[in-house]
Amino acid sequence: MSSQFKQLEKLGNGTYATVYKGLNKTTGVYVALKEVKLDSEEGTPSTAIREISLMKELKHENIVRLYDVIHTENKLTLVFEYMDNDLKKYMDSLTVGNNPQGLELHLVKYFQWQLLEGLAFCHENKILHRDLKPQNLLINKRGQLKLGDFGLARAFGIPVNTFSSEVVTLWYRAPDVLMGSRTYTTSIDIWSCGCILAEMITGKPLFPGTNDEEQLKLIFEMMGMPTEATWPGVSQLPKYATSSASFQQQHPQQLQPKDLKALLQANCKEKLDDVVINLLHGLLQLNPDMRLGAKQALHHTWFSEYYQRQT
Amino acid sequence: MSREVSQTPDINKSDSPATETADSKKPANYKRISDDDLYRHSSQFRMWSFTEKNLREKRKKTNERAIGTINEKLRKFIEDNKSSLTEEELQTLRVKASPLSMEEELQLINFYSKKVQVIAQHLNLPTEVIATSITFFRRFFLDNSVMEFDPKNLVHTTIFLACKSENYFISVDSFAKKAKSNREAILKYEFKLVESLKFSLLNHHPYKPLHGFFLDIQTILYGKVDLKYMGQIYDRCKKKITDALLTDIVYLFTPPQITLAIISMEDEQLISRYLELKFGKDISNNTDDQENGVNKEVKEVNKEEEGGVPEKVDDKHEPQNDIELNKLLTIISQCVDLLEKSESVTTDDAKRVAAKNYYCQNPSILLQKLKRKLESSNDNNGNESPSKKPKIEE
Repeated sequence: MSSQFKQLEKLGNGTYATVYKGLNKTTGVYVALKEVKLDSEEGTPSTAIREISLMKELKHENIVRLYDVIHTENKLTLVFEYMDNDLKKYMDSLTVGNNPQGLELHLVKYFQWQLLEGLAFCHENKILHRDLKPQNLLINKRGQLKLGDFGLARAFGIPVNTFSSEVVTLWYRAPDVLMGSRTYTTSIDIWSCGCILAEMITGKPLFPGTNDEEQLKLIFEMMGMPTEATWPGVSQLPKYATSSASFQQQHPQQLQPKDLKALLQANCKEKLDDVVINLLHGLLQLNPDMRLGAKQALHHTWFSEYYQRQT
Repeated sequence: MSREVSQTPDINKSDSPATETADSKKPANYKRISDDDLYRHSSQFRMWSFTEKNLREKRKKTNERAIGTINEKLRKFIEDNKSSLTEEELQTLRVKASPLSMEEELQLINFYSKKVQVIAQHLNLPTEVIATSITFFRRFFLDNSVMEFDPKNLVHTTIFLACKSENYFISVDSFAKKAKSNREAILKYEFKLVESLKFSLLNHHPYKPLHGFFLDIQTILYGKVDLKYMGQIYDRCKKKITDALLTDIVYLFTPPQITLAIISMEDEQLISRYLELKFGKDISNNTDDQENGVNKEVKEVNKEEEGGVPEKVDDKHEPQNDIELNKLLTIISQCVDLLEKSESVTTDDAKRVAAKNYYCQNPSILLQKLKRKLESSNDNNGNESPSKKPKIEE
């Protein structure tokens, strides 16, 4: 390790890197040191190359900053901005007994705004995050939220439970992706934003599936089964036929979409208004073409207090 | 992670087709982003765009540093062998072992850039990977001299790194096999390369603007252009873009500017009709209020990042609706001029420079060669002994 940084405790393990907390000895500023081993037969791991290449372009206050890359004999250290916590750990810390608690709505709004700001910047730069989830949203004591962990699933500031179910979490995955769509667009990140918004409100994951089928089932039970009428082209998706068949088997009667507002309200102490539910519906459209864009979402009425201030 | 595949026409400000599902009325401060804005936020713009003067100075600095090292080594070599060196040998050293000039270095770099392209094409890599390979290779030799790193040792390394950074997966062993190289050689300078690229690995090549302009030209000149004809020009332009990447154009102009120049080289009339309609007179429908925010931001970023702010031909970033047709046409014709001026390096020239490069780094080999030459002419049998010469592949 370069002598400029003092290595402190381990923050997490990743598939291609280990993350430590570090102290910049000259400035006294904390950093996150992501160490990549270079003994790989393939030279510098392409995941690291990709992450560096993307992070070099993404300079935004809602995206965790890559300060530097340091090369020593057998390892590469990515020096990132340090954040105190991540949204997952923060929400976990609010749990009372066995009951998860949602965040206060004003904080939900502030976090969601920042999440969408960071994401809009990624999308403007034609970069998809593809792995948005509370674990990858880093926060600090000042209430700032930043998108982290680009390029690879694990790593940033996450407790060392690499092989827990979290690793393969499907909870934030869009229905089009679950049904085998290969045309990834920005809309897949928007779906994740919708799931995260609901989770911040209630403290509970919106669609906690354990496998692809269950994940789709949970989504369809809540939002209704898509048809060619509501989502042109859906029947062409590789896994549509099977998921539709098994869904009809389980629910012979036509199933109506559930009342999202009522469901969320049951787990939220404050009173939810229709505006936030409207935004949520905009983010959680089954048909990816119908989902809001990040920029559009930022201009949703729910955020009017922010954008009005900006003008 | 991959970049979004959707295309945005450049200059023509566009936004993803907005489907209004929920209540999402655009407030007054709704800003649209053009590819040109994006480029101006990129590390490519911050670190890899120069004025001609900047660029020359950068190369000069690299060249002078290497010359300094070489001359020092030569001086030491002469000093160490002072007693044994003949006047003829000293003369040969002075003539043949002198370091390369900046122009000679550039010849060698240009020659090998072409080689990178040919090899990458031979490996059947996608256009973007080929483009990135060429780009990486040329950038490496902005800060490193060919007298410090033999360009032929970087050819495979840059192509392999481009595969990684463009997310085109290939293992080093299968790459080595296809490229008839070996893992050690490919990886030896990989990190040096990443470092020399200042970790700025994401590239804005003109292919995307090309796609965007073609879509936009077909919209603006709807019914006035033949689609089959457009398809033909498109393919030719794509090839020309790759050729442009082999030149300094990419440091001096933005990707959309280069694209317009290339299309206009194919069909000048098409471009002037298009631009005339697009930016000519009536701009009243272009009322998006774009503040100078972007411009300010770029300047701020520039200040904090790697020193100098390159002055661009059109450094003043102006809002879309203020694009001056005349100014744009001037830039395009400057770019066309430069593109037309660029010529490729002959193998003979490259060989000559490569030999010089080799001898200035290996003076003792030059002297051995001289000795053999003298011996063989003394032998008078006319058979020249096989001289050891650096090979430059065809």
